[in-house]
Amino acid sequence: MSAIRTVARKELRDAASSRWLLGFAATFAVMALALSLAQGGGGDSRDGFTRTTAGLVNLCLLLVPLLALVLGAGALAGERERGTLASLMAQPITSTELLVGKFVGLTLAVWAAVALGFGSAGLAIALLHPVAAVGEYLQFVLLAAGLAMTMLSVGILVSVCSDGRMKAIGMALVLWFFFVLFYPLAAIGLALALSTSGETLLVAVLANPVEGARILAIVGLEPDLRVLGPLGAYLVNELGLPATTALLLTALAAWTAAPLALANGLFARQDY
Amino acid sequence: MVVMLDVAAVGKRYGDTQALEAVSVAVAPGEVLALVGANGAGKSTLIKCVAGLVRHAGAVHVGGIDVARRPKQARRLIGYLPQQPALHAELSVRETALFYADLKGVPHDRARAGVEAVGLGEYADRPAGALSGGMRQRLALAIALLADPPLLVLDEPSAGLDIAARLELRRLVHEQRARGTAVLLSTHWLEDVPYIADRVLVLDHGRMQSLGSASEFEALAAPTSRLYLRLNGRGPEAVPLIRELLPEHAVEYAGDWLVVTCAAARKAGVVEAVVEAGIAILDLRVEELAAGTAPPGPGGMAL
Repeated sequence: MSAIRTVARKELRDAASSRWLLGFAATFAVMALALSLAQGGGGDSRDGFTRTTAGLVNLCLLLVPLLALVLGAGALAGERERGTLASLMAQPITSTELLVGKFVGLTLAVWAAVALGFGSAGLAIALLHPVAAVGEYLQFVLLAAGLAMTMLSVGILVSVCSDGRMKAIGMALVLWFFFVLFYPLAAIGLALALSTSGETLLVAVLANPVEGARILAIVGLEPDLRVLGPLGAYLVNELGLPATTALLLTALAAWTAAPLALANGLFARQDY
Repeated sequence: MVVMLDVAAVGKRYGDTQALEAVSVAVAPGEVLALVGANGAGKSTLIKCVAGLVRHAGAVHVGGIDVARRPKQARRLIGYLPQQPALHAELSVRETALFYADLKGVPHDRARAGVEAVGLGEYADRPAGALSGGMRQRLALAIALLADPPLLVLDEPSAGLDIAARLELRRLVHEQRARGTAVLLSTHWLEDVPYIADRVLVLDHGRMQSLGSASEFEALAAPTSRLYLRLNGRGPEAVPLIRELLPEHAVEYAGDWLVVTCAAARKAGVVEAVVEAGIAILDLRVEELAAGTAPPGPGGMAL
């Protein structure tokens, strides 16, 4: 455990001085603040939080995966490129401890950045209105934290499979484009065009953690079939709200554990 | 024999290249084994196998622990100095030492003392990325020595070092040997070998070419060097020292230069003797001559 803690602490320290992360935190905070001020001005206090949270969903689904994928992708590929991986692995540490230490440190760093963004927005709304609907807001913060872990895990798998940092980051950007931009537009359309069977729709939801997180966020806020989209509407209709929530949370957990486990297996078999 | 390092039939293949083939050797506590060979002979690959950094055929045991099966426990016994020390550029010298101390489970006080011991105390706040090559080497050495490991694995430790630093390295290896540390080191500097090692393993294209004592190696290798020294008029003081060290070798003057022709393995000893006598070397040139050639004289005046 002490090796994991040491590596995680160093990752956190590096992240704190990283322009990438600070830039992200500042951008997220400014945009979240702008959203909360723009949308939280009217209506009752519950509406203020709910509307702001709904606005933050899109912002979060766009930015959190980008940050987490890129940070994860640079984690081990960067060490390998600089030659520091061999120096680290020559110490009393296992490949699993190094990988988990990196994951934990980066997770805490992304959480800190996300917390800054959501914290700013939450504070702004709380100042404008008496506090209400905070539960939904916190639920969404937790969901963003979970999505960050998932995308970090995928990013670390990319990192293990890449022999250079830029190659890893390039691959991470391709994945981000696929998961966040291409998938909701083209991939789901293609899946629906090919087949509208329940199995196809289910696979289409589970194959993309970002889509799963989007549906979870909307389900948590306001399970309106019009805003859930075809996949979310299908799930809620077929399974009901509690089962849909449980299924998507399980999928998100599996999307976190599986890439990390695969990365661990591959990393242990590599030369350093 | 008590064995600290046991390498048994170790082989390593990179794609189509057999980098190492059936290498077997053992190192006892307090023994220094030098790995020599041309570039690509497999020295660094063997060292990486010992440090558990690459997967390989055969087995490596350190202190009886299988490096492949229990790498973490085995690495607790190893201090490793890579050929080109790579450090986290953004960490300061002190932070680097403390980070590695935490990984090794060593108290911070010892890490700070280690930084002082390698002469980097005044640079403790400087980022590792801003250190010169020699300073990085020293910091990496401090890290390798942090936990007083019973096995020291040094990959080309004298590469890029100036003469004083090479002499310092020799002293360090002697100290470690005296403390009972087993040392495995690779080197290009054949002349260092008799001074630094007890035994020598010669690798050629990944295969063991010979394994024997350092004196056997010296006799076998024995290429000749011609050493040109400018001593700022203090040649007459140096000549008796060199004659005492190398009674059978030629010492001549050529203009301002004092010219010593000797076995290549002995020339570092000449420099060491001169420096230790407090005679400043203003300039130094070395000509390497093939083994067994009768070197033509430098055209100077025999003493």
